[in-house]
Amino acid sequence: MATAFKRKGSRVVAKLDDNERAIVRELLDQTRQLLAPSGGSSGDPVEDLFAGLGSAPDPEELAGRDPALARLLPDGHRGDPEVAAEYRALTEHGLRQRKTANLTTAIEALDQPSHRDKLELDLGQAQALLIGLADVRLALGERLELRSDEDSDRLQQELAQAAADGSQDPRVIIGLYYDFLTWMQESLAGALLSARSRE
Amino acid sequence: MPIVETVSVAPPEHASPDVDLDVDAIEETDKPWVTIVWNDPVNLMSYVSWVFQTYFGYSAAKAEKLMLSVHREGKAAVSSGPRERMETDTEAMQGYGLWATFEKDA
Repeated sequence: MATAFKRKGSRVVAKLDDNERAIVRELLDQTRQLLAPSGGSSGDPVEDLFAGLGSAPDPEELAGRDPALARLLPDGHRGDPEVAAEYRALTEHGLRQRKTANLTTAIEALDQPSHRDKLELDLGQAQALLIGLADVRLALGERLELRSDEDSDRLQQELAQAAADGSQDPRVIIGLYYDFLTWMQESLAGALLSARSRE
Repeated sequence: MPIVETVSVAPPEHASPDVDLDVDAIEETDKPWVTIVWNDPVNLMSYVSWVFQTYFGYSAAKAEKLMLSVHREGKAAVSSGPRERMETDTEAMQGYGLWATFEKDA
């Protein structure tokens, strides 16, 4: 059973059992696959950087894009499609690379051998997990069609109702994962904010 | 007293008789651009505060105030400056998963 993250010296620690850890890892990994830059990686960061520089995504791919991916890579300008396209051509490849690399750091942190469900992270790993959880929750939030604060309230009511009914609807499962990651991210953000205030 | 006629003598700092300045062009370049962060139902208030503190180096109080503007008013300008820097800030905010855009300040 998971416990909230707590600051401990220069590290943050929490408990996460094998099942919880496997779920979080899987969701981070699925988000990483969603975000991986098209054309893959050559393994050489410099070569990858230049490969994608200034290359605009295919307009057809962009229009038919998975809404979850579209949510993770929004337009940089509202109202001027030309400026938005120019910004995307300059930034999208790099953003995808950085998000993918960050998710890899978070996944590797979860893969560390653990003793009695203990998850112990240095501040770099904690930061990577915090940002990675934001990306996963955005993707899940899109699957759950959370577009407004009212949608989030409605989801909570649905989940409470489903708990009472014992529903195993796929939407409920995604909703429960989303809820668990919300709790986890909240506790991690709290631990990192308290770390900041002590610096 | 006719007020309009009293400005016939311009103060020295405004006098620039030999330079033909294109006032519109100056206003165009001087007008700052801004980075806007938009409210969304997914990103947590604590996380948004942490991002503003971490990336911009804002104090906890300033980060909190900006975060609340985003939450209550639907959006907030989180930085301002030359366009290129606002594009960088927008890209950084999007890297954190915040819903950010850049635009010319209204």
